Amino acid sequence: MEIAFYLAALIAVFATFRVIMHTNAVHALLYLIISLLAVAVVFYALGAPFAAALEVIVYAGAIMVLFVFVVMMLNLGGQTAHHESSWLTPGIWKGPAVLAGLLLAILCFSLWYGGGIGSVGGDTLSAREVGMQMFGPYLLAVELAAMLLLAALIAASHVGRNEDTQLERDMNEARQRAPSGVDEEEA
Amino acid sequence: MNMTLSHLIALLPLVIVCVTVIVVMLGIAWRRHHFVSATITTVGLNLALLSLLAVLPLAPIRVTPILLIDHYALLYMALMLIAALAATTLAHAYLEGFDDQKEEYYLLLGCSVLGGMTLVASDHLLSLFFGLELLSVPLYGMAAYAYRTRPSLESGIKYMVLSAAASAFLLFGMALLYAESGSLSFSALGASLYGDSAHQSWLSMGIGMMVIAMAFKLSLVPFHLWTADVYEGAPAPVSAFLATVSKVAVFALLMRLFMTAPVTGLASLHVVVSIIAFLSMLVGNLMALRQDNIKRLLGYSSIAHLGYLLTVVVASDDMALLTTGVYLITYVATTLATFGVVALISSPWRGSDVASLKYYRGLFWRRPYLAAVMTVMMLSLAGIPMTAGFIGKFYVIATGVEAGLWWLVAGVIIGSALGLYYYLRVMVMLYLHDDDPGGEQRYDAANDWVQRAGGIMVILLALAVLALGIYPQPMLQLVDAATMAVG
Repeated sequence: MEIAFYLAALIAVFATFRVIMHTNAVHALLYLIISLLAVAVVFYALGAPFAAALEVIVYAGAIMVLFVFVVMMLNLGGQTAHHESSWLTPGIWKGPAVLAGLLLAILCFSLWYGGGIGSVGGDTLSAREVGMQMFGPYLLAVELAAMLLLAALIAASHVGRNEDTQLERDMNEARQRAPSGVDEEEA
Repeated sequence: MNMTLSHLIALLPLVIVCVTVIVVMLGIAWRRHHFVSATITTVGLNLALLSLLAVLPLAPIRVTPILLIDHYALLYMALMLIAALAATTLAHAYLEGFDDQKEEYYLLLGCSVLGGMTLVASDHLLSLFFGLELLSVPLYGMAAYAYRTRPSLESGIKYMVLSAAASAFLLFGMALLYAESGSLSFSALGASLYGDSAHQSWLSMGIGMMVIAMAFKLSLVPFHLWTADVYEGAPAPVSAFLATVSKVAVFALLMRLFMTAPVTGLASLHVVVSIIAFLSMLVGNLMALRQDNIKRLLGYSSIAHLGYLLTVVVASDDMALLTTGVYLITYVATTLATFGVVALISSPWRGSDVASLKYYRGLFWRRPYLAAVMTVMMLSLAGIPMTAGFIGKFYVIATGVEAGLWWLVAGVIIGSALGLYYYLRVMVMLYLHDDDPGGEQRYDAANDWVQRAGGIMVILLALAVLALGIYPQPMLQLVDAATMAVG
């Protein structure tokens, strides 16, 4: 398991480095997904399969896909089709694909030889134990995390809201004015 | 771990603030009403303040491994709740003219206070991190509250990006300390320090990173670059909140960390903190000298003030706790009233704050009482006797002398001398004759400012600053009783 840990850690560092160095947001995000997957393998090798699964499902799965979608949608416009086709060239997904393949190889290798979930040097931590910690002594931390998410949501929804106050008011005024103007002309 | 009734009562202040936030949120979902939202928030914060009395006989009590509600925590919770109440009253007048949704402000304020209250009650890295994030995340939204104006948005983004970097440092530091000690509670951090020298480099790196993160939140040199821009760009009531609640919470936490965690006994750490303190005093005061914007000036002066206070952390003895309490109380009262005056003159919101010093020229001839409040506050910030600021500074110097920190004491004295110059400059401005009477009518407080909650609050604070400066005995006894059992 140690070799899996070190290889995955190396991949994580390399992929993160590529994230930072890339100028194209979509390329960077692809590498970020790889980096998160590699971190999941690190968790796995450390004997925390539950954290590994969460890392894949929550980060690499939900959050990153959302990121990629948003970035792609922000590019809507005349050149969208051109962008789409340029994103499908092998040059872009080759790097992340190689790294992802390497991670898969590590996983297969360690499953084959390691005999299931092993760990670098501690005990295996199951979902049950994580849950017992979380809703036992650390119950308040869960509650605080809920409030934290609420606060972040409020802040984001306030700052990220559409320009509906002044703009919409102007548009409403314009709309109200337009029909009356037409009426006057007809009259 | 079972929760008994006494645990729940001990959590009452936190629970009440939570409930307030949720009630205000549901109220907004049902119908937006600025006055109702502000009133619910005020009532909730007052109830939380009252509930501290119910907790008092129970303290100290440990509620789950992550929170320790003791007298020390209760003292700072009370201070933060009062500051939050003041920020709410200021915000109500200020947001009246705000051309956007006004109610979210109170939600964010409530969440942020909750984070601060968690922070001062934490002696565990988990609650430290959650508390710090819960304190700062709503502040991003608050700093960027008037996000259609460029300075406010800029201040929000600056604060968010730099604060996230600081959080990353904090997490790295915590991970290193955890890897070394295998426990997240303060009292276990670096417990092996005196037995095993092999761990020393890990420990010093871990605690160093944590101190960097906290120095960022306290805007100490060299992590101060965001301060002036954020103070300037954020709406005035938010600056008031940022300068008081978040500083109190983080400093109280830092003090508890230094009093309880063995890892803070590292000699190199004390050298680093001394250097940070000395630089903060000098740089903060020097940068403030040439400022023509009162919010920026207060931002730099807050750097210097936190630098003075850091002397206490270096000393870390019993007197240090007393000094921290006294200094923070006087600092909060003074800063709140100063930003209160700025907020009142800028109220209601007209697109930007009245922060340039030239608008304060001749304030005395237009608004004599407001100018008097400002004068008292400037004197208090400068640490002139008969004001609360003097008592705070006196205790800082006494602590420094007792602990033999001569360099830092010298820094405090040099800094105070520099500070006098720019505080007096603001004061002189207030009494000069206005060159162009009527020309700056736009930049003035509302005519009935005295009858408003914000005006009453500012005048009460000014009286409190004078009262604490002339007769500090009750405050000293209160703080002494609250800090007896820590450490």
